[in-house]
Amino acid sequence: MPYVKAQKSKSYFKRYQVKFKRRREGKTDYRARTRLINQDKNKYNTPKYRLVARFSNKDIIAQVVHASIAGDIVLAAAYAHELPHYGLEVGLTNYAAAYCVGLLLARRVLKQLEMDDEYEGNVEATGEDFTVEPAESRRPFRALLDVGLVRTTTGNRVFGVLKGALDGGVDIPHSEKRFAGFDKDSKQLDPEVHRKYIFGGHVAAYMRTLMEDEPEKYQSHFGEYIKRGIEPENMEGMYKKVHAAIRADPTCKKSEKEPPKEHKRYNLKKLSYEERKAKLIDRLKALNSADAVENDSDEDDD
Amino acid sequence: MPAGHGLRCRTRDLFARPFRKKGYIPLSTYLRTYKIGDYVDIKVNGAVHKGMPHKFYHGRTGRVWNVTKRAIGVEVNKQVGNRIIRKRIHVRVEHVQPSRCAEEFKLRKLKNDQLKAEAKAKGEVISTKRQPEGPKPGFMVEGATLETVTPIPYDVVNDLKGGY
Repeated sequence: MPYVKAQKSKSYFKRYQVKFKRRREGKTDYRARTRLINQDKNKYNTPKYRLVARFSNKDIIAQVVHASIAGDIVLAAAYAHELPHYGLEVGLTNYAAAYCVGLLLARRVLKQLEMDDEYEGNVEATGEDFTVEPAESRRPFRALLDVGLVRTTTGNRVFGVLKGALDGGVDIPHSEKRFAGFDKDSKQLDPEVHRKYIFGGHVAAYMRTLMEDEPEKYQSHFGEYIKRGIEPENMEGMYKKVHAAIRADPTCKKSEKEPPKEHKRYNLKKLSYEERKAKLIDRLKALNSADAVENDSDEDDD
Repeated sequence: MPAGHGLRCRTRDLFARPFRKKGYIPLSTYLRTYKIGDYVDIKVNGAVHKGMPHKFYHGRTGRVWNVTKRAIGVEVNKQVGNRIIRKRIHVRVEHVQPSRCAEEFKLRKLKNDQLKAEAKAKGEVISTKRQPEGPKPGFMVEGATLETVTPIPYDVVNDLKGGY
């Protein structure tokens, strides 16, 4: 084999500086995070809340978080897998579901802070740009959108979460440039298109085209929808009901879980500090008594 | 070429980041709050170019007299000629750390208040003044045996054998 110069020498490892752990995991964008968390010093301990929207393959996680030195503190959270409680069982990661999760989170936060009567937000989801107006007694709840590592293109689902939270009554500084339905050329948001997306209109349109052109693909792709009898026509009604159910009762429902089963332990359990000290004392005692039996002289008590 | 005396002259090593600590600075520096009257240490972070104090203030400790959006006003003592001036500078928070110089004092204050409150409840009079360490108490030496040490007569043969 020809001589290949070793790429990673010992000095490479010695000099290597690891990135922050969450950067190594590829989960946190620290450049964005420093700018989101930094609070004006003359506001002292006032928390700066972020609306965190993250998407996994099958779930949406939305949280209202504020940072502290010990760790971030979550004020309220909403997940897409809670939406079955409100009547939405399929399509849990689409734009419409994202809107529902944002709405649920906003109502939950406001209810927790007892501001939900003052700040109703936008009850009729029209797709227009809606900003919360300050009420008489308290200023609106302010949060900043934290998208994470997502590429912020027009019509991204994180902006669905944003729209849901806005309509729920949370004050989030934003621009309508990235909502679905924003036209690049005319530089205007078309509220009709946005409204279509909020009510799953884009999914319904796809369902219709598939039904006509490729019925087999329709069966395989939208199997769960068919099983629950969801037709493209009644999608909007379904989402309206979900919105109403969310506004009616946004509190989190705890599910009953049995305590996890005890598993057989395959490795030795680590001893606590007291246990280790006790073991050492026992060992020394045994040593001393053994020596006393053997011989008395020349034994250092180390 | 004459020596330069620019603002950051002679700071090549002083402002350099320590080994393997380059790059992003940990976020706890931004999350700390400072109130007027706190003591802070000034330690320049070379990675942040804005709001850097002059190299003289690196390593100084001062009190906070002003808090602005991103910076803190610190009052530091500087000897100028034959007097010490209290200089007021503004420093960004990345170059500042909370000082522990007053920590012991604060803890002692709390403890003393607690002790005084307890003594008042019981009706005793206590002094919370710190006392310096006095001379050690006297003690009897235990297990002392007398051993007389006398020099041994010089033995040439033995010493030469060892030393060569």
